[in-house]
Amino acid sequence: MPKLVEINVHHITRVEGHGNIAIRATDGKIDKVEWQVPEAPRFFEAMVRGRRWEDIQTIVSRICGICSVAHSLAAIKAIEDAMDIVVSPQTEKLRMLTLYGEFIESHVLHIGYLVAPDLLGVQSVVPLVASHPDLVKLVVRLHRLGNTMMEVLGGRRTHPLTLCPGGFKRLPGQGELRALQEQLTAALPDLQVLADAVYSVKEKLPAFERDTEYVALVDRGTYTFYNGNIGSSDTTNTVAVQKFKQVANEYIVPQSTAKWAKWHRASYMVGALARFHLNAEHLYPTAAELARYFGVTRGCCNPYMNTVVQLVETVHSVEHSLELVASLLAEGITPETPRVTAKAGWGAGAVEAPRGILFHSYAFDDNGVCTGANLTIPTNQNHANMQKDLEALVPTIITRPEAEVRQLVEMLIRAYDPCISCSTHYLNIEFV
Amino acid sequence: MGNILPITPILPMHESAIRNPQSAIPREPPILIIGLGNPLLSDEGIGVALVNALAASYADNPAVECLDMGTGGMAVLHVLPGRHKALFLDCTLMGEAPGTLRRFTPAEVRARQSTSRCSLHEGNLLELLALAGELQTLPAEIVIFGIEPLTLESGLSLSQPLQQRFEDYMSAIRGEVKERE
Repeated sequence: MPKLVEINVHHITRVEGHGNIAIRATDGKIDKVEWQVPEAPRFFEAMVRGRRWEDIQTIVSRICGICSVAHSLAAIKAIEDAMDIVVSPQTEKLRMLTLYGEFIESHVLHIGYLVAPDLLGVQSVVPLVASHPDLVKLVVRLHRLGNTMMEVLGGRRTHPLTLCPGGFKRLPGQGELRALQEQLTAALPDLQVLADAVYSVKEKLPAFERDTEYVALVDRGTYTFYNGNIGSSDTTNTVAVQKFKQVANEYIVPQSTAKWAKWHRASYMVGALARFHLNAEHLYPTAAELARYFGVTRGCCNPYMNTVVQLVETVHSVEHSLELVASLLAEGITPETPRVTAKAGWGAGAVEAPRGILFHSYAFDDNGVCTGANLTIPTNQNHANMQKDLEALVPTIITRPEAEVRQLVEMLIRAYDPCISCSTHYLNIEFV
Repeated sequence: MGNILPITPILPMHESAIRNPQSAIPREPPILIIGLGNPLLSDEGIGVALVNALAASYADNPAVECLDMGTGGMAVLHVLPGRHKALFLDCTLMGEAPGTLRRFTPAEVRARQSTSRCSLHEGNLLELLALAGELQTLPAEIVIFGIEPLTLESGLSLSQPLQQRFEDYMSAIRGEVKERE
């Protein structure tokens, strides 16, 4: 009797659909490997139509509670591009700090809550409270740092209130920045402890490699998350953000209603590993040292190492944040009032969200009312690459026990940390 | 189609909504009201709409803090320590008629779905509260007000059943707070 292996890994997206990995193999021969995912909601593009430019950030900040700052800043940069608004260096520094808060929070959560259980052989972070109490408290502490940065700079722990075209609605005080400086300084030894913990189990990260195109922002001389053009590992040429549709070439595949994206190859990857691939030489010193410690070098094409690079980026975020805070304290915060003169136009903005490069574009009429929008999120750009990774990985592991195959493909999804916007936020309960 | 709530109540644009570091209100008032959910998905935004409407009522009350945590998920962990009571306001599928409000504690329910741990975007309040319990940062009293939705489709407005009962929800929550004050 032929041995049939059938594995389905569900992750819950919206009420009407599930994302799924479907694997079927007979006697070790693969019949099907499919990453099936429904279209991420495009309703927010319709939702901003007819709204004034002042309301755009408010709406898009609600798309996602994890990437709220990134969506806000991509939208704001697009509006500023459309209306020819230039912001001050102070605003850019404060925006970077806000974004770093989000990076620190998102990356630490991913490493500590999603990946650590895999590496430590448990089903969730909850049992780790008993088995690794100091480590869990450290993760919570680092997570809190990112959240506090967003509260101080963004005016709220999530869905920021202060970010707007032209600048900030409220500026942080010197006392707040000094308090952040202390917490950031304390974070570096915490991150070393976390790094040592991950290093001690790094052999649990599968050794899988697939030559991949990587796409991220590039800005000469910096490990950029905010400024720059669109770069690819497949070419030294870069593309202006306004031409992002030349990069994210969407196409339809039968197995998913979500469109896939390609540029120079059939797929590309965005996110931490992509940023590292394009900008590694610009990491701040402690972050660069951590990359060397883990043996991660430019050219690494193991998607499971995305998590290690997130740890490296977290250290970089803390280092650069300390530099920014010191600069702001030394110069003092200058009172500034955002000034925008609405006009007709079209603009595009891009930032690196924790999961990868994020594009927003908007068109406005003479009254500053939005007449059209286009949002291209990191996870949508990663779908095709996830499929290609699975096609390469599964044949090499299919003869292993089913539970192990399931674990490895789930870990692959987790490494990408897909952004399932607007999913499962409501409670779904029964009374006992 | 219900009235479209203007942006302002969903996300107050005025200065007082932004945490004021000079505020005389103590950092951790004993009673915390947290609104959860996504106001871009119609009734999924009921928790956020309620907490923003309640915020004005308690602006000068040093014992009560209202927080719009939206879809901030795990960030809830950081606002729980030091509180005596936390009230969560959230859209909840309970198998009831749309608009039904039920008050319950975590011990009285179980989740009908668990997260796959594939993404930080999967949220489960009960799992988060279990983690807070393990970390010993849970307030002594946790109450959840769940409201059954009619629709979770994209939209900035609440459905008619929820709009009609909005003041009833506010009264119930105020009553719960008053008991503890």
